[in-house]
Formats: sequence, C-alpha cells, structure tokens
Amino acid sequence: MNSIISACNINFSYLNVPVLKNIDLSIERANLTFILGANGAGKSTLLKILCGIVRPGTGNVLYNDLDIKKIQRGDLAKKIAYVSQETTFGFPFTVKEVVLLGRSPYIGRFEFERDSDFQIARGAMDLVGISHLENRIVNKISGGERQLVSLARAIAQEPEVMILDEPGTFLDLKHKSTIFSTIKKLTYETGISIVVATHDISSVMNRLGSTILLKDGEIFCSGKSEDVLTEPNLSEIYETDVKIFKNNDNLVITANPLN
Amino acid sequence: MTLKRKLILICFLLSVIWLIVLLFSLSSGTFELTIFKDFNSLSEIDRKVLFGIRLPRILMASIAGGTLAVCGAALQAMFRNPLASPFTLGVSGGASLGALIAIRLGLTQSIIGFSIISVFSFIFSIITILFVYSVSKVSGVVATGRLLLAGVVMNFLFSAFILFIQFFSKFTESLHTLKWIMGSLDIIGFSLVWKTALLSIPACLVLLSMTKDMNIYSLGNDVASSLGLDIRKMELKIYFATSLAAASVISVTGPIGFIGLFIPHILRITIGVDNRILVPCSFLLGASFLTTADTISRTIISPVEIPVGIVTALIGGIFFLWLLIKSKKEVII
Repeated sequence: MNSIISACNINFSYLNVPVLKNIDLSIERANLTFILGANGAGKSTLLKILCGIVRPGTGNVLYNDLDIKKIQRGDLAKKIAYVSQETTFGFPFTVKEVVLLGRSPYIGRFEFERDSDFQIARGAMDLVGISHLENRIVNKISGGERQLVSLARAIAQEPEVMILDEPGTFLDLKHKSTIFSTIKKLTYETGISIVVATHDISSVMNRLGSTILLKDGEIFCSGKSEDVLTEPNLSEIYETDVKIFKNNDNLVITANPLN
Repeated sequence: MTLKRKLILICFLLSVIWLIVLLFSLSSGTFELTIFKDFNSLSEIDRKVLFGIRLPRILMASIAGGTLAVCGAALQAMFRNPLASPFTLGVSGGASLGALIAIRLGLTQSIIGFSIISVFSFIFSIITILFVYSVSKVSGVVATGRLLLAGVVMNFLFSAFILFIQFFSKFTESLHTLKWIMGSLDIIGFSLVWKTALLSIPACLVLLSMTKDMNIYSLGNDVASSLGLDIRKMELKIYFATSLAAASVISVTGPIGFIGLFIPHILRITIGVDNRILVPCSFLLGASFLTTADTISRTIISPVEIPVGIVTALIGGIFFLWLLIKSKKEVII
C-alpha cells in the first residue's frame, strides 16, 4: 500500500461547466507531488476534492483505502491539512492564535489548549521562521508572511498529508526558498506526504518527487518529475514555447509566446 | 496566564460589575428607596417597588442586554465582519414588524407557553438574516458594503411598514406602539421575564457552545472545513439561535439598538478576539450596560421615564461616529 490518497474517476462541474474530467491519480506516501497546469486548469478544485472539503460530482477519493466520505470530519482534520491560496481574516487574531487553531481538531468543544499544544505551535513557528512575529496581528503582516503563518498552522495540525495551494505566490526569493526547503524537510525527514499546486515551475525544477500535469481539467501526463517535466510537455500545457536550460544543478525556464 | 484563567478572571470581574450595577439600580428611581438599610425596616410598599417593579425590570434589562450582545458577537463571527449586529442587519426591524403585526391582529394568545408575538417576531428575523446573508455574499465572501446596504434597506422597509400600521391605528394604540418601538423595558412582574428567558437563554447557550467553531470559521470556509468544521450546519445553527434569541427579546422590549454592535467591539479592543472569551463576556457586559442605560433612562428626568432605546441609540450613535473618525487613521471598516 504505497499510495496514501487515491482518486478514481473524478468528475466535477461548476455551474454546468465541467472543471475536472475523469481524473485518476494516486498520491505516494512520504513523497512530494506537484500539480501543474495553466490558470483555470482545475488545480485548486482538484486539491479541495483530495482533502475532502469539496465533494466530487462522480468518483471516489480514498484515504488509506478508506472512502473519504466515510471518515468523520474531525478525524480527517487530524490526517489531512489544507493551505489555501490566500487567507484573509475578518478579525485581528495574532499570529500565535492562528497557528494554535491548527491544534483545534485535537481540542474538545469546551477545552482550551494544553501546554503541549503551545509547544507544538511554537515548534511549527520556529520551523518556518516566524517566531518573531508571534504576537503580531495577522492582518498587519505582509502577504508572504501570512502564507508562512498558514503553513505553520498546517504543520501544527500534525497531519499525515499536507495539501498546499500555490504556497509560493506572494513570497519574495528568501521566503520562497524557506517555504520550499521546509516542504522538502517535512517530506523527506518527517515523512509527511505533500501535494503542492504551483505555477512556480522553477521550484519543481530540481526534479524532486512526482508531477501531475493538468490540462483543461484532465490529466495530461503524470509520473516522476524528471520524466514529466520536459520542454514538449510544458509547452503543451502552457500553450507557449517553453525552453529549459541547465545551470549547474538548477534549471532555468524561459517561455516565449508561440509565433 | 492561560486562556482558561483569563476567561475565569474576566468573567468574575464582569459579574462583580453586574452585581454593583444591580444594587445601584435597585436603589435608584423616582420612589426614594435604598436597599442599603435594614431589610426589616422596609414597608410593604417598599418591597413591592423593589421586588415587584424594579427587580423584574433589572432582570429583563440584563437578559435583553446580554442576549443582544451575544447575538451581535455571533453574527459578527458568521459574517466575518465587526459591523454585523441585530440592529445593523435589519433583524431588529424585522423582529419589530413581526411582533407589531401580531399585536395589531390581536394575536396575544400563546402556544405551549410561547407567545404568538414572539413566534411572528422570530419568523420575520430569520427571513431577514437569510435575505441579508444571501444578498451580501458575493462568491462565498460577505462584502461589507453590500452587507451594510442590505441591512439599511431592510431597516427602511420595515420602518415604512411599521409607520404604515401606525398611521391607521387609534391614537391610544399608536402611542403605546410608539413607546414600544423606541425600545422600552417598562414591564411589571416576572412573567414576561421568565417567558423571555425561556427562549433567549437556551439560544444563548447554543451560541456559547459554538465559540470554538467561530474561531475556526474565521479562517475562511475552505480552511475551516479542512479543520473539521461543518460550515452549513454551523451557519444554520447561528441563523436559528440568533433569530430566536433576538426575537424573544425584541418582541417584549422593542428594538433596542447598538448593544449588539458595540459591546463585542469594546471587548475585542480590550480583551482580544478569541470568541471563547469574547462571547460569554459579551453577555455579562451587555447585561450591565443595558441595566445602567435603563437606570439612566428612568432617573435622568424623573419622574418622566424616557424609553431606554433613546439612551442606547444616543450612546451607540456617538460610538459609531467615534469609530468612523478612528477608522480614518486605522483601517477597521
């Protein structure tokens, strides 16, 4: 049993427009899986279906061979953490309070956080390097820092699977490298299975883990990242002329419009 | 200090404040009387005034103030917006119109202990909340502008209907309604207090049991449901509980404005945004506040009693102005 999440024959339509078509995939345990695709290819919807917050029109999602629909919400929250593209907060919570919310699946309705919960939250903040922000108001830090807060919240959830929707979007180069090295560490040292939807091809380009390419709501191709991430494949899904250059271990991507 | 300690400490302090307000309020009024003297020296009339008139009124003020403040805090959590309250959402207006229609139709009976007036009031509140919520939500997110506009429009519509009914009422009836519309705690005896408490306290307890969920909910629908929250169930519970609580109060007291808006707001500034502390404290502070406002309303130009709604609206209006001026420097709204 090497796959932790598998989906079979997923179809999903929004307002009668098909968003996802016949998706079959499996997410490997303790591995990194990237989902790439042009805007509107259905990445975000697919992620929400994989973590059980959106029900597919047809098809099933299995977590450890169990139908995700049959797992209690509270139990699922201890197994799968989700980080959305951008989180806005209606109220001035502090960074620490938000990260502690990651502990809520473990806390009863009328209970408060225990010391161990505070320790776990603190550890999560240390890991992504936001400890110095802990008492800041989450609406008043930068968009990039807010994404690190969301990541820390997900880490505090102590999940087996982490599903991240474009975690690098608002980050500068320093924070981006923090986030991707944290993701690598969590996968290969802690053994969490991580699924990342991204536009940021360069971060995938050291060819770790596996990659799923989505095009128009269908899986265009999938497999080991080094096999999937080729000039013809990327050119096809982004509908533009993609070139890959090698610079030491790093790969440089350029895109030219067709014609 | 752990959160639990903080909660207990603040609740204790607020309870002490409430007790002081209660004793002070019992001792003030047109009828010169203080409880700070030998209990046995109280005459028959003194006791009637204290326990037949002042005490029920103070309890009513406490329940009404606490309930409206809790409703405000819960609605703010659900709309993810600090400007939501029974008053700004038009729920008060809806509840008032519902109650007024029942009164005008002469439906003063009760079904299994619940007055038909409260039932009408409840139906109108829940329709208002559902309407305002669906109108102000654009692709899953509540837009502040739409929310306030929808609330204001609903309030205007309900006012128009209320005035229409007023216009065709007899003079004496009309005067009575007018006093009620301005918000009044002028009740005699305990029966209305118990009837209100029977509906509003359970509804408040439901809201109090959801404070942890309210915190999670503030992370947005997707993240909140990934943390195990059943969004639809939570929203439905808040719709029903707040409508029931607000209607049970408003059908007796009339629309008393602004408590639901600024009690949670003041607490958020002073003790933080964690709903597990904010919501229970809102009840206690709301109770003290409305009791104080009512004491002012019945003593300030004694023996004339001005409706308490005027006092809370004045304080609330000034508060709102302050918020507007402050928000220019620091973006709140």
